[in-house]
Amino acid sequence: MPKQIGIPRAISYYNNYPFYYGFFKSLGIEVILSDKTTAKTINDGSKYVVSDTCLPVKVYVGHVVNLLNKGCNTIFIPSIQSTGYKINNCSKVRGLPEIIRNILPQNFTMIEPTLDKTENINLKDFCRQTANAFNINDEQKIKMAIDNGFKVYNSFTEMTRAGVSYKEALDNAINGKTVKKTIDIVKPISVAIMAHGYNLFDERISLNMIKKLEKMNVKVYTSLNVSFEDAIKSIDEIGEVQYWANEPELTGTAAYYLLNKKVDGIIALSAFGCGPDSLMADEIYYHCKERKVPFIHLTIDEHSGEAGFVTRIEAFIDMLLRKKRNAIIKRVDINRKSAAQVITINKEKVLTSSVK
Amino acid sequence: MNTREKLEKNKMENKIPAKDRIIAWPRMGRIDIPLKALVISLGAKVVIPPANSNKALEIGVKNSIEGICLPYKLNLANYIQALDKGANTLMMFQAPGSCRLGNYTKMAQKTLKSMGYEFDMVIFDMYQSKMKQTLQAFWHVTHCLNPWKYYKGFSLGFNKFFAIDTAEKLLFYTRPREINKGDAEKCYEKWLKITDETNSVLKAKKLKKQIIEDFKKIPIDKNKEVPVVYLIGEFFVLLDPYTNQNIEKELGEMGVEVQRQIMFSDWLEHVLKPSLFYHRESHRERSVRYAEKYMKRAIGGECIETIGDTVYAAKHGVDGIIHISPFSCMPEIVAQNILPKVSREEDIPVMSLVIDEQTGKAGYITRIEAFIDLVKRKKRKKLKDNVNLLSK
Repeated sequence: MPKQIGIPRAISYYNNYPFYYGFFKSLGIEVILSDKTTAKTINDGSKYVVSDTCLPVKVYVGHVVNLLNKGCNTIFIPSIQSTGYKINNCSKVRGLPEIIRNILPQNFTMIEPTLDKTENINLKDFCRQTANAFNINDEQKIKMAIDNGFKVYNSFTEMTRAGVSYKEALDNAINGKTVKKTIDIVKPISVAIMAHGYNLFDERISLNMIKKLEKMNVKVYTSLNVSFEDAIKSIDEIGEVQYWANEPELTGTAAYYLLNKKVDGIIALSAFGCGPDSLMADEIYYHCKERKVPFIHLTIDEHSGEAGFVTRIEAFIDMLLRKKRNAIIKRVDINRKSAAQVITINKEKVLTSSVK
Repeated sequence: MNTREKLEKNKMENKIPAKDRIIAWPRMGRIDIPLKALVISLGAKVVIPPANSNKALEIGVKNSIEGICLPYKLNLANYIQALDKGANTLMMFQAPGSCRLGNYTKMAQKTLKSMGYEFDMVIFDMYQSKMKQTLQAFWHVTHCLNPWKYYKGFSLGFNKFFAIDTAEKLLFYTRPREINKGDAEKCYEKWLKITDETNSVLKAKKLKKQIIEDFKKIPIDKNKEVPVVYLIGEFFVLLDPYTNQNIEKELGEMGVEVQRQIMFSDWLEHVLKPSLFYHRESHRERSVRYAEKYMKRAIGGECIETIGDTVYAAKHGVDGIIHISPFSCMPEIVAQNILPKVSREEDIPVMSLVIDEQTGKAGYITRIEAFIDLVKRKKRKKLKDNVNLLSK
């Protein structure tokens, strides 16, 4: 019987799937993914958990159910407890295996490795636990699998950092290809979105937000465009202390773009009832207020009406446009002379470059 | 400066000279009594904010973000009320790496400063044997160098904690059984007052015995059929009578004996005593042991305690479980998800109550009443079955 493992397309999938894929492939284990999130996934998930649970966890349960319906009996449910000393994940993410074990009546094998750096259980142990569950005990083989995992993961992050979209980068990384960034078209407005990967890149949960923004002619920056080191550095520079494992993805991204003044506004997207998000969004709101950068906090739940959501984004983008236009007009009016100079300088530049 | 150093530096601010310090801390049940004794023995002045009430909640809600949990809102309100009363040093403990609790102080500091208050914040970590850090925090606040005063303060504090917890446990036992309604409550209030006024170590050490003797004098109906219900859930909500809408009293008056596994003194002893001197199995260790079937790892907060206690209760003949948690509490949501299975497999009725700012008391009481009816019916049925078995 061929070895296979089901990976639910939720939570850690959005951050770590390239790694998981490379790792399992190298070990000779076939990866089965659940289908993309639909309304049915959410309904399936909601059936089993209490109503207070947040949307991403409901979606996760839905995906596990989907995998079971597909006939996959071994499911990978990692518990990522902490990614540094006393830097923990949200309790619900930490307790995913505990939740799944106790709510689903079906019988299936759960592969539940733990990553807990507070207790000195690092990535290597995490991978070893996973491999051992498949009766693979060869250290050399595991080590090679980890390397292969990182190879895929690194090519993925390299692409996303250069500006390739999430989907494209993922597809290419898995096929072992690297693509270069497409030509960047300058857009009038740019925003940074601070959100968990599993909220933002899931097209059903985020209601396809990135595409919607791009349609409005807005340049979107996400956590994928910021390297981990930059994110950590930005958190420090803005005067915050990392507390949550996901903080580089949210506070880090927002802080990075706040500090280098690359964006006109910041959008926070979080699921209703999300504990860490409520604090991180508040932190960034405080810094935005200080730096006079517009900020909007959008909350989503399973009932999110798309119309109301779009209206809010549109209003925010309109406001950004108006603000930017006003700022330019003001500058031109006061220093008519200097503005004219700028234009001529630009012209010269254009001329020189075209001559060359 | 790296993050960790910055964190350490933020923990103990030192702008106000020690002799001018007026100290305050957030309210949680009756922890103000022992803490007051401790800090006053060290020679500092103290401001006690008024007990949590609707007014405090209003202040807290107004000044904190929407998504944060209820305990923070009340803590913030306590700080504001204390600062308005003249306090200039705020103390708070934290247990990092659990849940949002680790962020409370950081946020409160920022919020209060943006509101224009000037104060020092002194934060100390509290997890497994942090006696040294706790002592350091108190030294930092008071600059007291006299070891006798520390001895006096800590033994006063500890004894008062034990006295209060003893009184509380006896109150839970006596209230449903008392013949003259209100006796137990009166006795409890009396002893709280006496405990608060005691300020010699010798007298404080005797408190526990005296309380036990005094409670024995209350006439009770020993043959009354009293179902036992465990209260489990989130720490703050369990210990603060305002937040849990005084559920213990309501239950007691319905003729139910309440037992609570989370007691402040137990927790404090476990947390502060160096592990070398702590020989008993702590509450947490016991919970981990009992919860093993359902949970393989601790996930922060009191989740594993909740599950462990439920299993423990089922194995020790407790009739029902009431699980209380504040709205959007992350660890308790996990617990809520697991509890139905525990309830089914261990055959014990469990009810989860979620508390937020808007909880109407009437609806709450109705649910508790319905649950207690269920528990009583179940208990009676069990007794009947046992009798049948014997007669066969």
